Amino acid sequence: MGASVNKTTETAFEPLLQFDMEMEDFLSDWHHCDHVSSYLARMISHNRTDPVRHSNFFSSALNELLEVSFRGGTTDGKIGLSIYRQGATERVQLSFPCPPGQARFYREAVSKTRESDAQARYLDAISNDLAPSRESVLLDLAVNYDARLRLDEDAAPAITLIVDLPLEGMVS
Amino acid sequence: MIAAGLPQRFKVGFDPNSQIFSLAGTIRPRSIDEIAESIHALREAIDAVRGVLYIDVKRLIQMNNTAFQAFIRVALDACRERSDLRLVIVTSSVVSWTTRMFRHLSTIEPQISVEVYDSMFYPGQDYFEDTSFIPILRAQTKLTWRHERTILPRHGMRPGIAVADICCGIGDFAVLAQKEFQPARIVALDHSKPSLAYARKVAAEFGVTGIEYTYGDASEMLLEDNQFDFVACRHSVQVFNQPELLLKELYRIVKPGGRVYITNEKNSHCLGEPRAQSIQWTYNELARLLSNFEIDVEFGPKSRRYLADTGFDDILVESFMVTNLDGDPQDFADIIAGWEKMFADMAMRHGEAPEFIERFRQGFRDHIFAALHPKGYAGWPIWAASGRKPL
Ligand SMILES: C[S@@+](CC[C@H](N)C(=O)[O-])C[C@H]1O[C@@H](n2cnc3c(N)ncnc32)[C@H](O)[C@@H]1O
Repeated sequence: MGASVNKTTETAFEPLLQFDMEMEDFLSDWHHCDHVSSYLARMISHNRTDPVRHSNFFSSALNELLEVSFRGGTTDGKIGLSIYRQGATERVQLSFPCPPGQARFYREAVSKTRESDAQARYLDAISNDLAPSRESVLLDLAVNYDARLRLDEDAAPAITLIVDLPLEGMVS
Repeated sequence: MIAAGLPQRFKVGFDPNSQIFSLAGTIRPRSIDEIAESIHALREAIDAVRGVLYIDVKRLIQMNNTAFQAFIRVALDACRERSDLRLVIVTSSVVSWTTRMFRHLSTIEPQISVEVYDSMFYPGQDYFEDTSFIPILRAQTKLTWRHERTILPRHGMRPGIAVADICCGIGDFAVLAQKEFQPARIVALDHSKPSLAYARKVAAEFGVTGIEYTYGDASEMLLEDNQFDFVACRHSVQVFNQPELLLKELYRIVKPGGRVYITNEKNSHCLGEPRAQSIQWTYNELARLLSNFEIDVEFGPKSRRYLADTGFDDILVESFMVTNLDGDPQDFADIIAGWEKMFADMAMRHGEAPEFIERFRQGFRDHIFAALHPKGYAGWPIWAASGRKPL
């Protein structure tokens, strides 16, 4: 997956599971997003304080990420998903091939989630837009799930979204 | 009404009398077109109401951003067009993301408010969610388990199955059932945060793992349909003011062919010797007092009818009597001492006269006297019933 992340933080994250699939297969059915997110959420939540509610919450976030890759991904290559845990946080690492030149848009959208006006931007998007953009979906994760997002482009043309979700503390 | 393309997983409803529009289930469309019918239904509901429209999302389990934005678009546009319109969005404290997502609407649009639905489902709830109830539950399960461990297999409990204990209280039953029957999965749900915290603490202290404790509302559960082989709901159907609602939920989560097992009481049949009359008087009064809180502690023998009306078949009903001879009589006395305090509190809050309360308490004390008397006998009858969800 070619992610070059700071080794000290990486070692602190314990791998929970890994999943990959040919993009072509993944893109053949929209319901893959729902099925994969529900299934994986249940698997990783079983030893959380409140497994049922953690799973519901996590599935909700993971589904949005999978939908981003479904809408923006191309058929050449694989979609790879790894989930790690450190304390109350799960890290989702999602990589998928996307058309050349698209990485820039993800880079911008991700950086906006880390700016101080993220909430204002999110509110503006949901009060005016008819359908969610890639940007507003990522803002939703930052605002409603307290997610921290990063982008890794080392394996271009695939991109890797790295999303830390501190849901355990929010559920219980 | 059911949304196109996603049969049964998502439901939209509108009740013009209560002006409630509800969204329930899972909705993750690829495009807005898939939910056009539901969007239209919201628009129609808004057109049909004067004043307030309640948008109930308590049972919304999943909704992606595509659907969220499409629905709120309609709500926001309607507020901009109609200054008389008020929208109240009712979320649940159980579903973490709905409150976080919908709360923004009141910031964006002053005509929209967001309410989190939580406690006060029924009049007696406060009492059962209080920490003072914990020792009572502990003492009760200690004695009922002696009977239930042999009763349960007749009602479908066996190793390797998926079990749920709904309204689990402090979780002792789940721990005992896990130890005795080794189910493959066991979920224990309650709406009392103190009881769940206690349950988790006990499990951790005793190294019990694998019980999935979850906070939830038994009449609106996040659990999916047809998940469990055996669903228990002990001493709790009787405390709901709408038992049929709760039973419907239990029916929903059990697998076809699986069984729902309920235990309930008939408190006016609590008995003791000596001092039978005083004891009898108090328990008759207890049943009357609790009916003011819409709690039916006479429910036990009604189990058969309620299970049948919910749609269960192969219904089994049996009763057993917890007595002072089931081990240490002090355990029995502890239960009654807990009841005395709790129910005297309820009588006080209900505005009963001091003389009444004194006599009421005396019956419990006499029950304890009978339990601890060297030749005494004291009993608490319980009905265990189960039904099968048809295949
Ligand atoms: C009489 S106690 C029985 C507890 C347990 N089954 C036992 O036998 O020890 C009733 C339980 O129902 C729970 N309860 C009340 N309302 C509830 C609701 N709406 N959803 C889930 N649990 C609820 C209370 O918190 C309490 O733990």
